Amino acid sequence: MALSQALFDAIVDGKAQLAQSLVEAELKAGADALALVSETMIPAMDEVGKLFQEEEYFVPELLLSARAMKAGMAPLRPLLAAKGAKPAGVVVAGAVKGDLHDIGKNLVTSMLEGAGFQVIDLGADVAPEAFVAAIREHRPQIVCLSALLTVTMESMRTTIAAIKAADLRRGVKVLVGGAPLNERYAAEIGADAYGATASDAVALARRHVGLSN
Amino acid sequence: MNAERAIGPKRKRVLDAIHHRTPDGAPMDFGGSATTGMHVSCVAKLRDHYGLEKRPVKVCEPFQMLGLIEDDLKEAIGVDVAPLMGRGAFFGFDNRDWKPWSFNGLEVLVAEGFCTTVEPEMGGTLIYPKGDLTARPSGRMPKDGFFFDAVIRQKPIDFDHLNPDDNTEQYQPLTEAQLDDIEQDARALESGEYAVFASLVNTNLGDIAWVPGPDLIDPKGVRDVAEWYMLTASRPDVVHKIFARQVEVGIDNLARIHQRLGDDAIDVIFLCGADFGTQTSSFCSVKTFDSLWKPHYAEVCDWIHKHTTWKTFKHSCGSSERFFESMIEAGIDIINPVQCSAKGMDPRTLKEKYKGRLVFWGGGVDTQRTLPFGTPAEVRAEVLDRCEIFSQGGGFVFNAIHNVQADTPVENMVAMFEAVKEFNGRR
Repeated sequence: MALSQALFDAIVDGKAQLAQSLVEAELKAGADALALVSETMIPAMDEVGKLFQEEEYFVPELLLSARAMKAGMAPLRPLLAAKGAKPAGVVVAGAVKGDLHDIGKNLVTSMLEGAGFQVIDLGADVAPEAFVAAIREHRPQIVCLSALLTVTMESMRTTIAAIKAADLRRGVKVLVGGAPLNERYAAEIGADAYGATASDAVALARRHVGLSN
Repeated sequence: MNAERAIGPKRKRVLDAIHHRTPDGAPMDFGGSATTGMHVSCVAKLRDHYGLEKRPVKVCEPFQMLGLIEDDLKEAIGVDVAPLMGRGAFFGFDNRDWKPWSFNGLEVLVAEGFCTTVEPEMGGTLIYPKGDLTARPSGRMPKDGFFFDAVIRQKPIDFDHLNPDDNTEQYQPLTEAQLDDIEQDARALESGEYAVFASLVNTNLGDIAWVPGPDLIDPKGVRDVAEWYMLTASRPDVVHKIFARQVEVGIDNLARIHQRLGDDAIDVIFLCGADFGTQTSSFCSVKTFDSLWKPHYAEVCDWIHKHTTWKTFKHSCGSSERFFESMIEAGIDIINPVQCSAKGMDPRTLKEKYKGRLVFWGGGVDTQRTLPFGTPAEVRAEVLDRCEIFSQGGGFVFNAIHNVQADTPVENMVAMFEAVKEFNGRR
């Protein structure tokens, strides 16, 4: 199946209603659900990520495209589940305890979903024990921790320590992100990697599950 | 009150700096506005450190839990600026009739309208708009947290029938009683000892702190933060109408304040706190800024510059340099917080490029790393370096990069003040 240009454009342009109706029309015309995702929708979100890196797109455009992707995925999810299609990987994500700022985390989760990952989004102000419980339940390959504030950065360290204490650390890659962080701090608290932007997070997640960027 | 205020040494230092003349030292602001303050716990620690009269600190800005820096502490640390903020606080109640409140075991004073409950399970603190405990809470502080965040109370949005008026409920003409309060507070600053930094009119265009309507009982319109960001890209027509209304009311309020207080009562006026920068990039392109924000900023600044001698103050966190030329063209005189840790915000480059055209009010020390996590020696070195860079030819008011956060070691804060004094002593 070739790329559906109209659907691709609808996602890149951030038009949610249009994206959903185009997916429904494609399905009606006999398109394969998996092919729609892998050949049109994921490449569309890749284009969005590229535009963001090039500073053609900014947070508002990224949010609009992520919403369009989500709307397009709505009619596809039950079909993909019925087919037993496997996600690119499983991710548990959340803003750490004490931090209520979730825009950055939401961007990362949307972009990861757009890249074919299954994301278990724990929300904001997530306690270390909630991360541990989610890892036990969902067995992710990747855990994403987000913090905007200098006063909550330390919650990342305690979360990683809790994951380690629960003997779950070796099974997951921990990615961290947020304005006050940097590579050095990520290494210091025992994270596997630091992503400065949502696109970086997707690239890192892909690398960790063995996909090329 | 229309008399001219005297110009004491502190006020003169600030006036020289904001008019790009070389002052006798780097002037300092702490507590002048809601983006140049200190967490209430820091203010309490400093009062203890300097052995000032023991009394609970007033929470003058309840959202970020900023503490009032009274004259005795101003004197101890070397502050040259005084706030003129009116009584209206962030959550819609007035800052008056103070009562004790325990903040994580620290006794502080909060306004009578500061009404909270504790969440049954999570243990967070909920705060209510206008102090109305029957309303849905509009702010939440996590358990063991240090300040509030807005609770998003978004009703379903009908994108086909967006009404810009729904988003302008917060922007109302000042009442005569509010003007009386402002006049009374301004009179207390008549001596001219301090430069007066006024934050009296809500011309915060799209400031994400205000978008959720924390001061409203039942906010309508687009109140979700992500929805607002998307609106700026998908429906600029609606955003223009919101800004236009806000500016219309804002200018009318400015005119009435000016009529009441006269020109000399205010030196600097807070224009807007909307952030355009992120740590590594920005929230929009310069093109979007120029089309969506700049005309509205220009309208307010034109009025201010045409009718007053006040200098206009714009706060924008993060990597904001790309917008500076547009901001200058719009009539913005002062930029804050000058987040040197963000991409493209190298202090030397900024000073070189904008010397004489833009006042840097901030940039004094990094509050993401150096001030909270560095050693006093590192704080001293950074402060001296920043003062050296930014002070040349005036155009610099020392302030940390945004509010000093809770848990900042007192010895680092003291090292910061001492370094400014050391720099000023060398001159």
